[in-house]
Formats: sequence, structure tokens, C-alpha cells
Amino acid sequence: MKKLHILLAIFAVVLAVSCEGFLDVKPSNQASAETYITSVSDAEIMINGVMSLMTSSSYYGRNMFMYGDAKGGDFALRSQGRGLDQLYTFNHSHSSNSYSGYWTHLYNIIAQLNNLLLNIEKLEEEGEGSSALSNYKGQALTLRALVYFDLVRMYGKPYNMDKASYGVPLILEPLDASAQPTRASVEQVYAQIVADLTAGAPLLSKAKKNGYVNYYANKAIQARVYLYMENWAASLAAAEEIINSGIYTLYTPENWVNSWTVQFNTESIFELYIVTGESDLTSGSLSFYLRRHGHGSTSAMGWYMASDYWIERMNEDPNDVRWGVMDYDESFDQTGVKRYGSCYKYSGSTTFAGDGKGSATAVNIKVIRLSEMYLIAAEAAIGTGNKAKAADYLNAIRKRSPSLAPATAANVSVDMVLDERSKELFGEGHRFFDMMRLNKTITFNDDFIYPFVVITHREKTIDRTFYKTILPIALGELNANEAIRSQQNPGYATID
Amino acid sequence: MKKVLFFVLAAFVTTAAFAQSRVTGKVTSSEDGSPLPFVTILIQGERGLGTNTDIDGNFVLERCPSDAVLVLSYVGYTTVQVPVAGRNVVNITMIPDALALEEVMVVAYGTAKKGTYTGSAAVVRSETIKDVASMSFEKALSGKVAGMQITTTSGQAGSAPNIRVRGIGSMNASNEPLYVVDGVPVVSGGTGQMSDYLYTSNNVMNSINPQDIESITVLKDAAASALYGSRAANGVIMITTKRGRLGKPVINFKASVGLTPSFATVNYDIAGPEQQVELYYENFFNAGKYEGKTDAASSSDALRQLNNRFNKHGYHFTADDNTVKSLKIHGMTDGIENREGKFYDWDDYLFRTAIYQTYDLSVSGGTDRATYYSSISYTKEQGRSTQNDFSRISGRVNVTQKIGKIMELSTSVNLANSTQHGFNDTRNVSSNYFMLSRNLLWPLYWPTNYKTGDPWTARYGSYAYNHLYYDQHWDNFAKVLRIGANESLSVKILPELVLKTVLSFDNTSTRDHIYYDANHYSGSNVNGSVNEMYTNYYKLVSSTTLSYDKEFAGKHNVSALVGWEAEENKTDFMRSSGTNLATDALQTVTTAGTYTANAYYWGHTMLSMLSRAEYSYDGRYYISGSFRRDGSSRLGENSRWGNFWSVAGSWRVTNEEFMKNITQISNLRLRGSYGVNGTLPSANYGWRALASYNSKYMDAPGGVIANIADANLAWETSYTWNAALEVGLFNNRLNATVEYFNRDSKDLLQSVPISTVTGFSSTLRNIGEINNHGVEIELSGDIIRTNDLTWSAGITGSWIKSTVTKLYGGDDIVWYDPYAGDSRAKFIYREGESTLAYYGIEWAGVERETGRNVWFLNDEDATADLTVDGRPATYSYAKANEVILGEAHPKFFGGFSTDLTWKGLSVGLTFTYKIGGYTYNAPGRDINDDGYYWERIMSQFCYDNRWTPENKDAKYPQRIAIDMEDVNQKSSRHMNPADYVRLKNITVAYTLPRSLTSKVHIQNARIYFNGANLWTWAAHKEYDPEVGHWGSRGWEMPIGKTYTFGLEFSF
Repeated sequence: MKKLHILLAIFAVVLAVSCEGFLDVKPSNQASAETYITSVSDAEIMINGVMSLMTSSSYYGRNMFMYGDAKGGDFALRSQGRGLDQLYTFNHSHSSNSYSGYWTHLYNIIAQLNNLLLNIEKLEEEGEGSSALSNYKGQALTLRALVYFDLVRMYGKPYNMDKASYGVPLILEPLDASAQPTRASVEQVYAQIVADLTAGAPLLSKAKKNGYVNYYANKAIQARVYLYMENWAASLAAAEEIINSGIYTLYTPENWVNSWTVQFNTESIFELYIVTGESDLTSGSLSFYLRRHGHGSTSAMGWYMASDYWIERMNEDPNDVRWGVMDYDESFDQTGVKRYGSCYKYSGSTTFAGDGKGSATAVNIKVIRLSEMYLIAAEAAIGTGNKAKAADYLNAIRKRSPSLAPATAANVSVDMVLDERSKELFGEGHRFFDMMRLNKTITFNDDFIYPFVVITHREKTIDRTFYKTILPIALGELNANEAIRSQQNPGYATID
Repeated sequence: MKKVLFFVLAAFVTTAAFAQSRVTGKVTSSEDGSPLPFVTILIQGERGLGTNTDIDGNFVLERCPSDAVLVLSYVGYTTVQVPVAGRNVVNITMIPDALALEEVMVVAYGTAKKGTYTGSAAVVRSETIKDVASMSFEKALSGKVAGMQITTTSGQAGSAPNIRVRGIGSMNASNEPLYVVDGVPVVSGGTGQMSDYLYTSNNVMNSINPQDIESITVLKDAAASALYGSRAANGVIMITTKRGRLGKPVINFKASVGLTPSFATVNYDIAGPEQQVELYYENFFNAGKYEGKTDAASSSDALRQLNNRFNKHGYHFTADDNTVKSLKIHGMTDGIENREGKFYDWDDYLFRTAIYQTYDLSVSGGTDRATYYSSISYTKEQGRSTQNDFSRISGRVNVTQKIGKIMELSTSVNLANSTQHGFNDTRNVSSNYFMLSRNLLWPLYWPTNYKTGDPWTARYGSYAYNHLYYDQHWDNFAKVLRIGANESLSVKILPELVLKTVLSFDNTSTRDHIYYDANHYSGSNVNGSVNEMYTNYYKLVSSTTLSYDKEFAGKHNVSALVGWEAEENKTDFMRSSGTNLATDALQTVTTAGTYTANAYYWGHTMLSMLSRAEYSYDGRYYISGSFRRDGSSRLGENSRWGNFWSVAGSWRVTNEEFMKNITQISNLRLRGSYGVNGTLPSANYGWRALASYNSKYMDAPGGVIANIADANLAWETSYTWNAALEVGLFNNRLNATVEYFNRDSKDLLQSVPISTVTGFSSTLRNIGEINNHGVEIELSGDIIRTNDLTWSAGITGSWIKSTVTKLYGGDDIVWYDPYAGDSRAKFIYREGESTLAYYGIEWAGVERETGRNVWFLNDEDATADLTVDGRPATYSYAKANEVILGEAHPKFFGGFSTDLTWKGLSVGLTFTYKIGGYTYNAPGRDINDDGYYWERIMSQFCYDNRWTPENKDAKYPQRIAIDMEDVNQKSSRHMNPADYVRLKNITVAYTLPRSLTSKVHIQNARIYFNGANLWTWAAHKEYDPEVGHWGSRGWEMPIGKTYTFGLEFSF
């Protein structure tokens, strides 16, 4: 009987744990989404999360820049099948190579920002507002504008081509799982971008804060956006406000090459921080995509390299300081001739100096540099008719080619600015978008790839009337969102 | 159980007898001639005159009537009646009751007799599986149980087969059955985190030594499994381990060695070196012609390509008359080695004759107070790949001890330690050795530089690399230590009332290690890297049941069970990683210049109440019912609790009066059941909206919202009908069971694609209903049954129809084969269609005159480029609409086996088969390419079946290096008929005569040979037809032909 008592004791002990609390098991690494923002420091953590998402390979970590570069004619590739090559070949359809990762990832960031904004507003309503909190609100609005700007550039026609055509769905608050949003017009999206930037600017601190957007980053995005909208005065004003602030300074020609080895250097208006061992994309990084095949690592597949046309342009001045980040490319293996087509901006240097983090691939992404502001100011000044000013701004950058004669008020032109942009911002994701907004014809260096693969999905030259210059709404989205099916981009298939 | 048997036997006691004398004898087992101790011997009709055999199987009956009939009964053996017929010495052999109706089998929370059990369950005994050379027991079950589909897709050492019981019961949630070991649900599946880095996972079921298994019960219908409630919808596999038997200690030793020298079938075998070069040339030559170049220019471009690629490996190429016919491969003469006419055989380095070896030692025995079984075993299995092996040491102690008169304590302790080395099994160009051998490693690539003889360290084109060099620069292992302790205490409060409490603790700790040194391409960028991960899985189960079992008035049998159960699962995870390693002599994190770490835990809990009642009348009518209520932490408060129940009945027609004279029919029984069980979401926190914090930025924490959750997420619920007819003829020499089932599964969970504009691509929801129904047959018979010779044969077959019956939104759901994240095959859930309906574009083959791919348009609105077979078609896959292309489910599948025994010699064959359905050949896009992957080697199948001007009726298009991606489309081009028959196992065994072995004090000695997968016929002969449950073949290492030789002794 004594043993029976022992048994009953065990029975009782085990019964004691059996209450409803036993069934309420919470994760140890995640918090309940309803209560995750209750203070300024929570808002800061969520902004960090968003910044981290921006460094993803689907966005500024790699693919955003590759989109702007691979399609613009300044780059060529040597072979297919190693990654992102369909950007170059324009082999897109709704079902294959739709590159829906841009859409999916950028809308994820939008969802994060919308949540954050909603929660900040809630805190403000509860009387918890503060200037620190509004600063995060300003950052969120600015980042939302940037993300929409990138989305509409990839999925919508250029602003000056057809404003009334489809842009992207405009989502400003959190959606539930059953939502089936439809597309707003290009014009509506731009209007929202301007509204967010305008609302965000006064909330932001003017102090430089490495790795985050501040007031001037907001203005820099404004300068870009107004340039695309051909609002020359506003674009010029925004760019000049940054230039004149004195917070940022141009690299001298002497230290231009080394600038890539320094984090948060003097030109960085918006620079994304890459965390070693976390957001470092290693063999999937821009460093690997642009360096020479096998260089520094046997897993380097050395993917994109400069086209003959870009090299010709750079050859206008063999002393151009910007050759300093270029090294010879893999065509050397076959031709024995060194062709300096491989770009090492994202390796720090041609000797893999990195930018001080001990990894040549964990190099920060300079999203907006002061040089671009000078070039925007130059172009916008031409738009406003102030050619002297335009020449000054252009020459501030053009002096990096010491052998070239400076521009003058007489000869300065949009094409000169465009060429300078091509040289200065090579590998920084601009060329294709520049060619689109300026309605230029792009010629591809397809003979460089021949006979590896013959390109059949586009002509050797294209312009913005070619339907594949904007991406399709991918099959996955069409499948899940019935409402958007009738809004496919022209030329691409949809589903019934 | 002995008690129950006793009651049954008591009923037979009838008459008295006259002449009496002393009778002695020995009782032995027909199986191995071993003596059977404690066999109950009664004299028919003589109450109280029985005896038991002693520990050596001997018995003495004083005062035994000379015309008496002895009734011998023993658990696990068929009761026999032996007339004494005036003898003084009666030696008796008893036969194990493998097929007997009185066979006792383990079922949910108890045991039952096969002949009277109302549910649908199948039992597989250890004899059936013991000779198969396999790390885990599942592989040996193939073809043995109707309705259970076991497929071995991967030949990697340590991999686990897929098991499906009665089709697909779930969409997104688990389709895995529940595993129950010695009455307690256990952890199954992978436990480590290596899938984040390399191979999918190791299978924790490998920690059970198949030699420790006494029997396996597969619970199929609701009546059998509803007591496992929310986890039972996909069937339950109950494993019972061996326990000691009364008698002297029996020492059993077994050793076997298996050799796997080759794969079981052709598996994407590559074209010869000259043919590869031909394809390469053709590719660029055709591209040149496409560009409008001359033959000479096209040929020279193609040669330039070949030279670019292979000069550095010691070859150069000419084509004197600009045609492929004149293409010649020459050796370069400027190095230390001229490779003319020589090619490197990568298979020779990558693969080997794999050796499997296992040693088992067990000791068992017992007295009437205690029984014990203890074992130790060592097994080492090599994969055919030189980089893959698996080893295990396991030990088990099972002890049953009676305490006082009413208590019995039963303890099982299992300890297993396994180590796996491996590589990737998915379509991973850099770490799947099989894919490398079939798609990336040209025979023209060499491990050394022909100029210098130095190791080749640069990667070859298209990610191929030199294993001879790189295999020395990385390492990995996953070590699993599993400790399971299972304590059960039963108290016989009254003879018919038993309280039983079980406490089980299962701790599986997995250590994963992966290391690349600074010379390895995966480590070069960070100067070497090492990751150590510890995953510690704890499972605590406590259950207590009270059972009542009583017979009234000799005719009414009543039994009842009530109980409750609590289960807690918790996993602790810890990772530390280092990069920038100081030296390649050490592989530890401490040598690293940079560290990162992670640690957290997760888990789930469950509470249940359960009950069952059974009633039978006169051995003819049986009814039973069960009810269970489960609460799980995997669901929100609103839907946390679910009720599961079943009712069942059976009618034993043979026990009716009117059947008494039909002696040919020895068994006729009808049974039926209906019940409800469920499936839980596989995600622990799927119903919670969560924010996660794993996005660091500027060295500060970062947070993101992680999902859009549905707080009302509910159980998946299955409603199952089952009806069966069992027939036994000619004293059960011929047995047949035909079973029909119909299972409606509702509220199925699925990660549903949602508009990604919401920020998320999917959300977990209860979205629809599916139906599985089918017929299972089992036939078995003894064709010859004499003393020396028996020949038996059996067949199992299942016809299962699995259909999506309802989608709550009405909209189709497109999804991909989730195997290892490869998105191999594409499927659609659509109302009225199969649960495994392949979805994609319909390939119309190759245009005869041009060699181009053609696709059926399947779109009324689009304009056709041409017609094929009278149907609108197009050259551009992007214009073609996706349609349902066929289904992966077979129409019929199962196995058949035959066993022949002559004296000590036995021969057994087991075949498995599958009829109907399609397999999806995911590697088809890599190895049957049209020119897109021009840096890769192609299969012989591709070479033989491509379009050329000489072969216009080809299956595949012309090879041409233009940027077409037709081969990458999910389409019917990669679908093939799935039918096959395979000789899964053949066993030849010889038991040495006792007269011989007893002289050296060996009770039993046996030698055997087992051959696995020795013969296969397949409708499509390009790859192994035994594919996983999603119907797709990917880049898994194929299974091999295994020849095993073994020895077994018992003392």
C-alpha cells in the first residue's frame, strides 16, 4: 500500500502542471507583433530592421544596383547561367525570370514602414510623442518614398513618358492577408513620394548619422525624384541645399580611389552598413558579381564587366582617376590582352582592401553620394537654363579626368552630364534609369558575349518603347491577386 | 495476456479420462528448436491437472490419462492440442503464431487480438525485417503493409525513407505518421540544424536499432488511431521493442556485411567524352548558323570555345572540314603529360563500393518475477559517395519486474550515438557530389595541371571543382546522442482493474559541425570558417490510464479505459561560428579571429484526456468506441481544444451456428469503423503574429514583423470510414483481407500565397478539404505445407484516389514540391482534381523540320504559331497557358512476396510495384538541356534523343547556344510514366541442423544472404523510378544494389 501512495504522489505532481498555462508556449526569439512598438527605443529597433532589409541581396545589397547597371549598356557579360544574367538578356516573362524578388522584398519593407508609422502615430495619440519619435517618423516616411521611387522605376513607365499609365499599388497602412490591391498611376505614385518626402523632411535631424537617413538624405532623394519629374527648379534647389550645407565634401581626385576603402566617407549622404557575418553577402555580393572570374577566391564567378562602349568612354582620358578601381577582366584568359573592365568599388580596392571590416565583401553600400548631387545640380541647372552654373557643377566632378577640358557654359549639355554620370556612378545602379528617363537608345555589347550565347530576347539596341524595359507583374502575384490581373504591363502575358 | 488465454483455454476443458501414467517431454519452438520454458500444459477436460515446462522446456505430468489430449499454450505461439496416445514421452514443437487469429498485437494504449480487433491495423514482425541491411527499420517495411507507401529516394547513408499511410491526409501540415515506441509518442524526423548549411538533416529514427524491434503495428483507420487524436490522421506506426522471455539467458549474436558496388538502375549516366565534345561543338556551331554565319566561321567559333575551355586541361580540337564528323580531340604536348586519348573518370574517385557492417549482441531471459532484454549494437554504413557515411552505437535495456503481488514495473532505456558525414542532396551545384558527377565534371577536366602536375585548385567552369583537392579542405559531421527512458508502472488493483502510469523522457542532442579551411572556395573569402551547433530536444510524456476488463456470464466481455496524458517538447539551440581561422590544423571556433553566435529555444505542449470502451458478445459481435480530447499550444485560445472519437464493430461470422458445418471456411469476419482524428499545424507558433529580431544593423539589434497570422487557426480534422472483409480458408491456409476506406480531411492547413503587396508572400490558413478513398487487398497463402517444405506467397495492393474536394476561397492554389526547398515540381490544388496534380505548360514536343521546342497554347484568346495534332501551339513558352498535366499518385501500388522453406534452408523474395501516375524529372532541366547550360555535361539520354538533321524524329530539340530557357520551364517535357517493379529484397538463409550445433553448445546457428534492389523494371529507364511522395526525382544520391552476408548465433 505504501507503494500505492508513492504512485498517487507521482500522479498528483504531474496533474499539478496540467493547467491552461501549460499550453501557452511563447517563442523565445520573437515578440508578439501587437505590442512590439511601445517606446522610442522600439521604434529605433524597427528602423534598424528596415535598414537591414535594405541591405538584402534583393535590394541595395546587390540586385537594385545590378538592375540599373545590367540593363543600361555600360555592362556586358561573358556567359550565362551564373546569376542575374536575364537582366542583361531581357529574358523576362511573367512566369520565368520575372524577378519578382524586387516586388516582394520592397513591399515587405513598405509593410514594415507602414506598421512603424501606424505605431508611431498611435504613440503620438497617446501623448508619447517626442522629437526623437518624430525623427523616426521622418526616417520612415523618407524610406517609404525611396522604396516607392525604386518600385515605380522598375514597374512603371518613366514619368515623362506616360504619367497616366500603371505605376505600382500604393499602400500606406498595414494590410490584412486577404487584401488584393491594385495599381495606382505613375503620377499618383510620384505624388505620394513627394508627399512623403515633404512630410518627412522637417521631422529629420540635420546632423549626420552614419547608416541612416537624415534631413539631407531626404533632400537628396528629393533632388533625384524632381529630376525624374523634370521639376528642374525643385531638383536644383534640393541638390544645392545639400551642396551648400557644408556637411558633405567631394573627394579630391587624389583620394577618389581610396574613398572606396573608407566607411561613411565625406561624400556619403546615405550609406548602408554591411554587418560582417550577418548581411555580408560574401560570394553573392556585388564584390563577387563585378570582380574578375576567380580573382581572390575560386568561387568568384566574375560576372558582369564593363562594356566596350563604357571602356571607350573612359578611354577619352587614360589618366582618369576612376580607372583606379578597375582591373582587367576574364577576357584576358582568351585574348591575352588586358581589358580593364572589372570594377572593384565593392571590394574596397583591386587588392581587396575592403572598407575596414576584415572582409572584402562586407563593404558598405553607398546609395547616395555627393557627386551625384553635383551631377543632378548640373543637369537641373541646364533645365532651368543656367548653363554657367551647370558647367561649374559638372566640372567639380569632371576634374577627375585631368586630361579632359572642363565644360563651359557654351558647350555644357545633358549628354555631357550623362557621360559623366556613366563614369562617376558606374556600378551604382543609375545607367539604365538615366537612359530611360532621358529617352536614349541603349546599345548592348552582345558581340562581347558571342558565341557563348546568342541573345534572342531583345535586339542589340533598345529604347524605352521596348516592353521589357519594365518588369512584368509576376505569375505568383497574378495567382494570388485576382484584382491585379487586368493590370499587367503591356506585352507580358497575364492569366484568365 | 496469459491470463486471457487461460480463460479461453478453460472453456475447452470437457471430459475426464481413465488410465493414468507418468508422461514427460520437452517443448521446443519450431522457429529455432529452442526449448520453451513456462509453457502452460493442461489436460483437456481435467481441471487442475496441468503443469508448466521448466526453464529447459521439460515437463512432467504425473497421473496423466493415457488417452488424454494435452493443450499447450504459450504467448506468441499457436495453442496446440496433442493426444498422448499411450506414450510416456511426448516431445512437442510449437509454432509461432505469426498469422494466427489469436495473435496478440500492440495497439493504442494496450493490446488486442488480431482476430477480434475492430480497427484496421497491420503487424510486421521482426522476422520480416531483420535481414535487411538498413540503418533504420522503415526501409525494410516496403511492400509489407497494404496502404502504406514507403519510398527510398536517397541512397545517402543516414537518409530516411518517406512513409505515407493511406495517401495524403494533409496539405501543408505534416503528412508523416506518428511514431510511438513502447506506447509513447516519440520525436521523429530531423533534429539538427545542418539543413541551414549542408544536408537536409539526419533522421532521428535511425537511433532505434532494427534488431531491438519485436514488432511494428501500423494503425490505419480511425478506430485504431483515434486514441492518438490530433496526431493520428496520417496513421500511427507503433514500435514495440523486444523484452525478455521466461527461461535461461539467451545470448544472440549477429554479424553482417553488405556491399553496394553499384547503383540500382541507370541514373542520368553521362554521354562519353567524345560525345560530350560533339554536343559542345554542335551547340556553338548551330548558334553560329542561327546568326547567319558560314559553316567555316561557325566551326571556328565552336572550336575556339572548345579550345578556350579545354586547352588548359591538356586538349585541343580540330574539325578539318567544318563538320562535327571531322571533330578531333588532340592532346597538348607542351606539358609534362600528354592526355591524348585519355580522360579522367570522376566516378572512379567520387564513388566506391560502399560497405555496410553491423554487429548485434543481445542477452535476454527471465524468471517469473523479472524478465530482461539487453543489447548492444554497432553499425557502420558507407554511402557510395566517398564523402558520406553513418555509424551508430546503440544499447538498450528492457526490464520488467514484478513488485509484490499487484505491481509491475517496466523500464526501457535506449541509448544511441550516431555520427553522420555527408553532403548536399539537393540541386546545389557546389555541394551535391552526384550532380557534379552527372552534370558538371567533364571527363576532360583533370585533378592536376597537365603542364606542371600540380593539383588543380581553380574551380572549373560552371561551379565544378576538383574534389581530390577540395575534399581535403573541408569537413562536416552531425552527431546525435539520444537517450530515452521509459518507465511504466502498472497496478492490478483488482484482477480486472489495472492502473498504469507511464513516464517517458526522450532527450536527443544533436551536434552539427561544418568546417571549411582557408583554401576551400567556401572558406577562402573569410579565411576559413567553422560552425558548431547544438540542438537539444527534450520530450517529456506522462500518461496514466485505468483499464477494466471483465467477462460476465461467459458471454459478455466488457473492457474500458480512461486516462490522461501530458506532453512537453522543448528544443534548445545554440550556435557558435568563427571565421578567419588561425590554422587549418584545428577545426575549432576558439581559433577564430571573428565570432558570431546565436541561441534560443522553442517548443510546444499538449494535454489530453482519453477513453475507450469495448464490448463483445459470445465471440461473435464486437463493438468499441473511443474518445479523446486534445489541447495544443500550437493553436490559439479560441481553437486550442479538439475532440476526436471513433466507433467500430465487427462480426465474426465463423463463430455463428450456421457456419459450423462449413469447414472450408476457417475464418470469416466483417468489420467497420467510423471516426474523427486530426493533424496539428507543424509550426509551433503559426497562429501568433510575431516580430523577430534577427536583422542586426550598425551593430545594434533590428526588428521586423515576421508574418501575418491567423489567430483562429484550427485543427485539421479527418473523418474516416473503414470497412473490411476477412476470409480464411482451409484452416487459414489461404487468407484474404479486402478493406475499403474513405477519409475526408477538413480545415486543412496550408501556407497560402497572398498578394505580396501585403508585404508577405504567404500566410498559414485552414483552406480546404481533401478526400482519400481506396481499397486495400492482402492475400496470403501456403501453397505447400508439409513438415519439411513450405512454400507461401502473399500480395498486398492498394488503390487510392486522393482528391481536393473543396477550397474555401474557391481559388486554385499553386504550390511546389517542398523537398529541400528545391521547388522541383509544380502542383495545383483545384477542386475536383488530384492532390498531386502537376501544373505547368504542356510541351508539344519538337518540330520535325526545325528541331524547335513547341508548346500547346491552351489559351483560346492567343494566336497560334502553328498547330500540332490539330491543336494550337506556339514556339514561345511564355505564350502558353499553364494547365494540369497529370498526377503523381499511382493508380495501384504494393508488394508481393514469396517464401520457400525446405528443412533449414529458406528463400524469400519481396517485390514492390507501382502502376500509373507520373514522376517529375527535375534534373531533366540540367541534363537534357537544349544548350542553355552549355558549360555542363549532358546525359547519354540527351545525346541519344536530341534533334539533329539525321535524327528528326527526336524527343528533344536541337542543341543550340541561344538564350532560350525552355528547358527550365515546369512542363510536361519533364514528366515520365512512373510504373515499375522492383525486387526489393531477396533473402537466402540456412539454419544449421541442431544435431550439429548442439555439440558446440550453440542453440541456433544461421547464415544468410540478403540482396536489396537487385532487379528493377521501369517504364522510363533514365533514372531510378522509386521517387518520394511528391512524385519528383531530384538530385538525391540514387540507391544502390546491396549484397549482404550475415551470421547469427544464439547460445
